[in-house]
Amino acid sequence: MSSALAVDRAFAVIAFKRRLAYKTQWLVGLVLGGGAMLVSMAMWRELLSGGALSGYDWDAMRAYVIIGFITATMVFGAADWQIADRILDGHVAVDLTKPVDFQRARAAEFVGSMCSTIPTVAVGVAGAWLLFDPPGPASATAGVLTAASLVLVFPLAFGITYLTVLVCFWTKRYLGVMWLREALLAFFSGMMIPLAFMPSWLQAVAWALPFPHFTTTPSAIYLGHVDTAGALGLLAAEAAWAAGLWFGARLVFNHAVKKVTVHGG
Amino acid sequence: MADPTRALTARHVGGVYGRSLLAQIRAITEYPADFWVMASAGVMWNVLQFAFLTVLFAAVPDVAGWRYHEMLMLSGLLTVAAGSTALLCDGIWSTGTYVLKGEIDYRITRPAPVVVQVATSHIGMQGFGETAFGLVMVVYGWIGAGLGLAAVPAGLLGVACAVVIECALITMLCAVTFWIKGNNSIFAFVMLDLQHNAMTLPLALFPAAVKIVTMFVLPVAFVNFVPVAVLTGHLGPWWLIGTPLAAVASVLAALGVYRLGLRSYDSSGH
Repeated sequence: MSSALAVDRAFAVIAFKRRLAYKTQWLVGLVLGGGAMLVSMAMWRELLSGGALSGYDWDAMRAYVIIGFITATMVFGAADWQIADRILDGHVAVDLTKPVDFQRARAAEFVGSMCSTIPTVAVGVAGAWLLFDPPGPASATAGVLTAASLVLVFPLAFGITYLTVLVCFWTKRYLGVMWLREALLAFFSGMMIPLAFMPSWLQAVAWALPFPHFTTTPSAIYLGHVDTAGALGLLAAEAAWAAGLWFGARLVFNHAVKKVTVHGG
Repeated sequence: MADPTRALTARHVGGVYGRSLLAQIRAITEYPADFWVMASAGVMWNVLQFAFLTVLFAAVPDVAGWRYHEMLMLSGLLTVAAGSTALLCDGIWSTGTYVLKGEIDYRITRPAPVVVQVATSHIGMQGFGETAFGLVMVVYGWIGAGLGLAAVPAGLLGVACAVVIECALITMLCAVTFWIKGNNSIFAFVMLDLQHNAMTLPLALFPAAVKIVTMFVLPVAFVNFVPVAVLTGHLGPWWLIGTPLAAVASVLAALGVYRLGLRSYDSSGH
């Protein structure tokens, strides 16, 4: 293993262990994510009792809601605050003196913290499977490609999160920035309501953003709403967004870092 | 005849509360970027909740018998209540941090109730956007649902009680950090999050246990569901009596739990 990869792994492992140390986080994540999932199930069971709506019947919606739970837990459970705090309290000045790439180190930490949500996801999905018995993937290929789209959520989530965290170079607080990002992500990803329910112009807006790849892409592949070629196209778009955000963030950081202030100094 | 000492105390407490909040407002205007980001964030969640309902009701005529404008009122009233807590007592979320760091100490020595001092130690800038947009949702839903001016007194009572209940319940659950120590007021946070998920939908969707808990154990149903259900005819008018009763019970419970918490407070390092 090259030294750079060893450093990445060390950052990821430390972030993973740090998150696991706070075991109540698991429980809170499970209660919040599980609660949202149960409420969503209750609403859709009522609405879909009369038949399918916008291409979703009760079977498909059960799988859709569970996939939404998985991606929401992974994304909202990651340690974005730690990056923001380093900028807000000025630790970024120390980071800049270290012989590691700031963005790459934060990415490794972020992925490590996302991995720490896996126990919550596993327990939540197991419970949901027992309670709601959702249908399996449309095909074995669809299952594999769904897994691939979920793996791509890691760099995509980091890209979006990191770009928004960089706003802290200009603001003194992170909470509002985080809420804005989470609100847009929840709506335009399809976590709140599938994009298929939206009017065509709003769907076009959503697909012009990276957010649909958090829920709509994996669930469309899983449910067979797209064929293999379509699934590969979605995965390519998801990967392109991840890469674009990575390099875009570098440009923003190079500009933002000139704004470093330490405790108001 | 009113007890003059008591009146003076109430005036004093009110004065401390008002001056502390004004100081917080002056402080946040020093950081205009933060103010606008937070206020926009508060609005954005509610704009998207509005959009969610609009998109949903383009596909369905009702949810468990509740129509579009009624659901807007449901979401709007909860938003007003939650936004108001950010404006009126956002500092209460810091109770856990103050307990951990022993920062309750000097508040105990000052001549004003600790709960008032803690509640006004911060102001949630998102509250401006949330409250304003929540009121827009309520008014838009009100007009769309065909409610007339005759229902305005009941509506105002509902809004006032919603704000009081929400502030009280959050205060009570934040006070849990006197015993279960931690920076984050997890119980209050979980309540607020579940409330935003479940209480923006008709209670008929959920099992009986949920209805019992939300009405009689932790009376979050009286924040938005009961008042809106009464106004729109989903519940009988006598249910409205429960709203001020729930407000009084919530305030007494909050003050009682906070007082018990202060009694068990032993500063930091013990």
